Amino acid sequence: MTCHEAIRALDAYIDDELSAQEAMPVRAHVRSCVYCFQRAQDREALRRALRTLPYYGAPTRLGITIAARGTVRSVLPKARGWAIAATVAIAAGGGLGVRVWTRMHVTSVVAEQVMARHVNALATQHLVDVRSSDQHTVKPWFQGKLDFAPPVYDLADAGFPLIGGRVDRIGGRTFAALVYQRRLHVITTFVSDAEDPIPEDLVETIRGFHERHWTDHGMCFWVVSDLNAEELAEFASLIRSKAI
Amino acid sequence: MPRRSFEDVVVPHLDAAFNYARWLTRNDADAEDVVRDAVARAFRFFSSVRTNNARSWLFTIVRRTWYSRLGEPGNRIPSTEYDELTDRRSDEVLRMDELLMRREQAERVRRAVEQLPMDFREVIVLRELEGLSYKEIATVVDIPIDTVISRLSRARERLIPVLVTVGATGDHK
Repeated sequence: MTCHEAIRALDAYIDDELSAQEAMPVRAHVRSCVYCFQRAQDREALRRALRTLPYYGAPTRLGITIAARGTVRSVLPKARGWAIAATVAIAAGGGLGVRVWTRMHVTSVVAEQVMARHVNALATQHLVDVRSSDQHTVKPWFQGKLDFAPPVYDLADAGFPLIGGRVDRIGGRTFAALVYQRRLHVITTFVSDAEDPIPEDLVETIRGFHERHWTDHGMCFWVVSDLNAEELAEFASLIRSKAI
Repeated sequence: MPRRSFEDVVVPHLDAAFNYARWLTRNDADAEDVVRDAVARAFRFFSSVRTNNARSWLFTIVRRTWYSRLGEPGNRIPSTEYDELTDRRSDEVLRMDELLMRREQAERVRRAVEQLPMDFREVIVLRELEGLSYKEIATVVDIPIDTVISRLSRARERLIPVLVTVGATGDHK
């Protein structure tokens, strides 16, 4: 075996990917050639060095997110009805049921992502990039940052003062995040014009956070807060009524 | 394959998926987004997939998710400049074992791996950190086994000099 041949086979040899038959001439060459011996040594040394590379384990919150998907907590009664239908359909060997069931899980992933972003913004104290209670300050701030104009409302009279806004990326989509407040509760409204994977309205509760989702005028909306479900529903219907 | 739940199949490989994504993206935030998206995608295809190698399957999805994000405007990262690669094989006889223990070396190696072109970086991570076989890497990256070998080989040729530079004191040069 020539050095050229040995070099070509060296990685597979070191990686134990050669059959015994293939490995034999390589081994013989490496033992007899000082250069190829060194090349093999270098690779062994590299392997040891690479063992010091950090192994990035999944952050705990990521694990929780995905584990929690197993249980879809509170979807709309309509969707729940579908779930029952889905179970029946699966039992009957129907394909539709599987699809609905799958969509519910994907829905839950998106709902988790939205909630995680809300929680993260609170945790990092990075709530807003434009801080103002004036809709005429907040709305123009999005110009040039988004290719749609998110609806921004002054809801102070209704008891939901505006805090400000920021731009967020969730699941590869760009959202305008509008932050409102009720008492000490922060409410984030996420708005995107991206294609919405979830056509139906949604009410969900995840670990004490309430979420509502709907689609209006080609934009999809998510509102998230630890505010109680009734007041959040009131907030959501205010936003929806303003949009008409 | 007996039918198992999505959680049973995917969750055990979440760390591996994140590690791979983290090395691809080189930052936590993107890695998290990629893994979330990948898991959502995995779920979509789960019912139609029959695989007994869930980890490789998940790697494949993580990889596609990341590459499809790169396709988005403003996200493009130049791919490997193969043609410009030259084989620089050092024929110097070097004693390196004693140097490997050094901490700065570990940091240097980490940075060197991060700075590898993505095509090289991922085969190193899949092989050295995840312990995938050539065949598994070929499946995940969707390239022939010969290409796996040549990428691994070239990646290693690039990394080996990093090991020597740090401690290359008088007795080597």
